Amino acid sequence: MNENQRVLTTLTQLGKMILDPILEDKFPSIKIPDRGTSNIVFDKEKNRFVLGSSTSIRNSSNIKHIRSLTQLTWVAAFAKQLTESSRTSSLRDLYYSSEAFGIDFTDQSESDRIVTDLECVTGLPRESFGIFPEEHSSIYGELIMEYTVPDYAGREIDLTISPDGLPIGPALMTANPVHSDAEIVLAVESGGMFSRLIETKAWKRFNAILIQLGGQPPRATRSIMRTLHDSLGLPVYLFTDGDPWGMHIAQVIISGSANSAHVEGLTIPDAKWIGVTPQDIEHYSLPSEKLNNADLKRLDELSRDIRYSGTEWQMHIDEFRRIRVKAEQQAFSRYGMDFVVDSYLSEKIP
Amino acid sequence: MAGFGNPSQAVYSTIRELVENSIDACEDAHRLPIIDIRITSELPDIVKVIVEDNGTGIPAEHVPEAFARVLFGSKYHQRQHRGTFGLGVTMAILYGQITTDSPVIVHSRNQDSRGMLYSLYIDVEKNQPIVKHSEQVDRDTEGTSVTVALKGDLKRVQDRIIEYLRMTSISSPHAQISIHIDEEPTEKFGRWSEMIPSPLLDSKPHPRAADMELLRRLVQAQSGKRLQDFLIDSFQRVGERTSSRFLKFIAFDPNRQVDTLTRDELGRISSAIRKFDGFEAPESKSLSPIGEKEFSGSVRSVFNTSTLYYVRRGPSEWQGNPFIIEGILASGDDFPKSDIPTLYRFANRVPLLYDPNEDVLTKITKRFNWKRYNISSSIPVSLFIHFCSTRVPFKAAGKQSIGSVPEIEAEVVSALRELGRLYSKRARRMEKAQRDTRKMREFSKTFQQLVKFSAELAEYPETPSTSHLVKQLFEVDTNE
Repeated sequence: MNENQRVLTTLTQLGKMILDPILEDKFPSIKIPDRGTSNIVFDKEKNRFVLGSSTSIRNSSNIKHIRSLTQLTWVAAFAKQLTESSRTSSLRDLYYSSEAFGIDFTDQSESDRIVTDLECVTGLPRESFGIFPEEHSSIYGELIMEYTVPDYAGREIDLTISPDGLPIGPALMTANPVHSDAEIVLAVESGGMFSRLIETKAWKRFNAILIQLGGQPPRATRSIMRTLHDSLGLPVYLFTDGDPWGMHIAQVIISGSANSAHVEGLTIPDAKWIGVTPQDIEHYSLPSEKLNNADLKRLDELSRDIRYSGTEWQMHIDEFRRIRVKAEQQAFSRYGMDFVVDSYLSEKIP
Repeated sequence: MAGFGNPSQAVYSTIRELVENSIDACEDAHRLPIIDIRITSELPDIVKVIVEDNGTGIPAEHVPEAFARVLFGSKYHQRQHRGTFGLGVTMAILYGQITTDSPVIVHSRNQDSRGMLYSLYIDVEKNQPIVKHSEQVDRDTEGTSVTVALKGDLKRVQDRIIEYLRMTSISSPHAQISIHIDEEPTEKFGRWSEMIPSPLLDSKPHPRAADMELLRRLVQAQSGKRLQDFLIDSFQRVGERTSSRFLKFIAFDPNRQVDTLTRDELGRISSAIRKFDGFEAPESKSLSPIGEKEFSGSVRSVFNTSTLYYVRRGPSEWQGNPFIIEGILASGDDFPKSDIPTLYRFANRVPLLYDPNEDVLTKITKRFNWKRYNISSSIPVSLFIHFCSTRVPFKAAGKQSIGSVPEIEAEVVSALRELGRLYSKRARRMEKAQRDTRKMREFSKTFQQLVKFSAELAEYPETPSTSHLVKQLFEVDTNE
């Protein structure tokens, strides 16, 4: 409840910041940190990337700013209602709720952006307001968690309870790990690979808690991985497709994204990308596709990105550019159903 | 006969000639015209037309000559006229006589009589009036009524006649016109203005208008004169100096007697007179434009208009004839939707309803780039063009379409450009004003929401009013 109180106070202060000038016949304005990739810097103390000093000002007397400022205020009021009543909303729900209040968003990506604005302004992650993304990642493994959400507080759950894995939602995200026999966390990009690893009992063989990322993972997923890493001391391995996009999924988990550089408690600097690396594609002669223009453009962007300044990352980028092909995780199936577990992962995971 | 080509056009032309004659007569007498038209079709195919006016009337002794003799137009003097010196009326009377074998009935009262009624035929061979009957019949007021019976098709042309009168009330806004057809209710048009056009002065022809035919007739009428005196007396804006310079230009002796000039010499003078650049522009005192206030007023009276622009070009000149172009561009719900404005044509205050596609005004309107001036089918727009001149270059004797003359075309195009510019300037301004109001409304609404939600957030008990803040913001904006 203390956490809740802190959130409510922050939101009330935001309201005062906007209302007070109006009561004095002035147009309020607020400062929002700039979230472009050019404004993320590495914070040595925090050992992660944070937003730099560049900010932009939204002034309510500016006809171009008034709309987004009003949207932000509404999102804050909406978040306050959620927090007060201990309820949650998905980003999609929030987008649709806006209509009832006469607030107009062009599309959900606009309302998502405003939610991120609110995070930046308040310094609080959206999850603390009860706002979550729609999509769910899944988790599976020998791990007992204890819920903290109302109605379920104190109840324990065994994460092997369903052979399909358990969706990571707001409740699981805030649950605390109680007991685990696992030794590693293995996060994989695709649902297919996740199911394969459960069916083949690979989780038992590697003593792993399995996580299905499903593309860029939701923050709840990153947050739970961080919790497992911090409180259970488990090393985290990341297994994605062998292309610039898969590589970047891993990178975001390791060092954070520009979009959430303002949020604490998400990055796992120790996590390791095991592949599929460009070297793997060559070494295993994986079925591959040519890199298209978008892939190559992405590589150019990543090569200039401060998060890729390490020599190993630069090497991966150079290798992709050299071989000019990409391969999916499932490409290992060409050597039979069990190859990925028996040979590939065995070699990659110590 | 021109204008009497088919049974429906014959009815239209008969009414047109009589109405124009009547308005001209009233204008000459400086009276506000009251024209009353009655049409009956008692027998199939036979139409009886009565047109009555409040003019000064015609002296009893002149009635037969005026109505039952085909006069040939005088060209010694020129000025703007609706009809052609009564010629058209005689044609109508002749047509009625030929098709129904019935006389024209003229009832007129002037200051010297209480009213004379004539029944007249035209002796076609001798070109003389035949007075069938005449008697003194009292008439309440001064004026003339003419009754013509003719073979014609009324039903097919009825709408056109009503439209003609409606348009006539636009180009002659000082006239009051009513029409009563058979048992149908009377329709009235005008009067929209109390302004009687100033009487026009006849003027001598401009030398550049002197073709061979005119020169020959002028010489015949003034035989015995010196060539220089002949030039000075016959033409406008030609005096001692101009005539001397011209005679030097063509190397003729100023003292030559005009009747000694050979046909060949007259031809040389006629062609040289057009090339000589020492003549001044023709006088325009013999022109009668409708005028900005009257023209705009009559268009507004007849149509529902939301915006209206008037321009006037000239006086300019085509072949020695002065002319003025008046144009009105009006938008309003009454007009049909189209990519180009709907065109209403007028020549010397007469609406032109037939042969629009032959007309140079139509051609110019069609090929004009209206889009450039923000005119499109989204807002219905109409164009009224009045061409007035001492001579109208009609394409055919039916006098329904104006021919192509480069000088006229150039002026019409300029008039359309001016109108287009006025229209688009206003259209843009209105658009901007609308945009600004919309912006302010949106801003105000959004700002109100901002205040409401921030008050909710801050747990402030009420939503403070912000209208003065918003107002202040937009006032500052407009001052910048």
